[in-house]
Amino acid sequence: MINRPFLTLVYREVWRFLVLYKQTIMPGIITSALYMVIFGQALGSRIKLENNVEYIIFIIPGITMMSVISQSYANSSSSIMQAKYLKFIDDYLIAPISGFELSMSFIIGAILRGVINGILIIITCSLFTNLTIANYSLSLFFLVVVSCVFGAVGVIVGIVAKTWDSVGVLGTFVFMPLSMLGGVFWSIDMLPESWAFVALYNPLYWMINGLRYSMIGVSEISIVFSIVVSIIFAIIFTAIASIMFSKGYKIKS
Amino acid sequence: MMNNIIEINNLRKIYSNGNEALKGININIEKGKFFGLLGPNGAGKTTTIGILTGLINLTSGNVKVDGLDILRDYKKTRKMIGLSPQEINLDVFFTIKELLVFQGGYYGLSLKESKERVDNILKDLGLGDKINSKVRQLSGGMKRRVQIAKALIHDPEIIILDEPTAGVDIELRHYLWDSLRDMNINDNKTILLTTHYIEEAEILCNEVAIIDDGEIIAQGSPNELIESDGESNINITIDKWDKNILKDYEISYKDNMLSIKSKNTERDVPKIINELAKSNISIHKLNINKANLEDVFIKLTGKKITDDK
Repeated sequence: MINRPFLTLVYREVWRFLVLYKQTIMPGIITSALYMVIFGQALGSRIKLENNVEYIIFIIPGITMMSVISQSYANSSSSIMQAKYLKFIDDYLIAPISGFELSMSFIIGAILRGVINGILIIITCSLFTNLTIANYSLSLFFLVVVSCVFGAVGVIVGIVAKTWDSVGVLGTFVFMPLSMLGGVFWSIDMLPESWAFVALYNPLYWMINGLRYSMIGVSEISIVFSIVVSIIFAIIFTAIASIMFSKGYKIKS
Repeated sequence: MMNNIIEINNLRKIYSNGNEALKGININIEKGKFFGLLGPNGAGKTTTIGILTGLINLTSGNVKVDGLDILRDYKKTRKMIGLSPQEINLDVFFTIKELLVFQGGYYGLSLKESKERVDNILKDLGLGDKINSKVRQLSGGMKRRVQIAKALIHDPEIIILDEPTAGVDIELRHYLWDSLRDMNINDNKTILLTTHYIEEAEILCNEVAIIDDGEIIAQGSPNELIESDGESNINITIDKWDKNILKDYEISYKDNMLSIKSKNTERDVPKIINELAKSNISIHKLNINKANLEDVFIKLTGKKITDDK
């Protein structure tokens, strides 16, 4: 799999978002800095959490994950949509590259954009707080795996979507609400029991709490289960994306 | 058989809407040929090369490139093929150099190899000064040339061009013809060209297959096809007519104009002139409407090649 055609595709994907850093990296940093100021410093002092964690620290993993999800999803979906729109997706389909390699190149591009965003947001947030990372490697693990999940979802949506509109709709009407309801700004003990029960069925809740545990050492739920859920979703969506490229679903006649 | 670089066997394609685009076609293309796939729009040309390159899934049959199956050995067969699609499909994000270097990388070229090839190919195609331009800064003709550069970047054995001169001006068309002929003759590349321009096929190709409605209806060199299925018209203006001569020919005569059908004008014209001279018939004017592949197509299908399906 590690061959020159595959590495070229990965290189292209990474270069694309690095050149467009004003659209792909800067917004996440600016937005998270604003969250820090507004939610953390202006409102956070009025919110008390049960585990004595400062609210401003508590929301950093959530804010990070929200950006990681949207950026990794945007990277692969927009790259494929553009290739479809300008028809140069044909260049990929006729190249000596397998469906798995094709989907992985887009997913790796998405992972790198997600991880770079995540790390820069954590650094930005640490400027406003006295954040110390509890477990660096576990934090990196969650950034990578969650970027992989949403990079793969972006590949699937990019392949299936007929318009840019439908790509945006999924981001706005599905991922944003799931992130917000996944515990970005709240702890489960702040919710009424019925809503807390619903939150447990939201995979993003497990992913956000996984990162929260790895960053600040506090989790409301099983960290093992968080890891397992994240890996399972990454495998499932990567497999679906690879099969779609291999079979040419919606992209070959 | 041993020299066939492309073998298409009983290839069928039925699209999901039920349209049977290919009805079991067979085509063999010898290494080094300049092969034309000639047919009207909707005949199955693009479907054929789409399957050959991996853009379209086949329904049944098989295709081999240099003896290798295009599905089982797709990584090897695709490296041997360079495709210039009919529609311009260039990434507007990168410069011409960048997008061609990436294209080379997709086919396994190192960065250094790719850069060298890009410089040479763009120079050959007259785009040396546009190397750092972006696609949006290029004219239509330049985009077409970049499109062809993409097909050539990995120095493939087989170059497939889908309607390469559709919508280009006459000057560029002739320039492209010269370039393609040069690649075929001097670089020994096998070229598969689809076209619905009769002249293009006749001038460039040493073998053509005529495709209509998903079926190959004739294959051979343009001359062979014209000789077997085309008829030229020899038109002679004369001073008088004797209906007892030239009995072996299909003739029409009206207002001193003698019109004679011929399958081989080189052989028939001297004979006709001799017979007319023997009968003391003076020739005022003679012109020959040579048969072409269009006539062959009309004879075989009953329609013009420029008619859409």
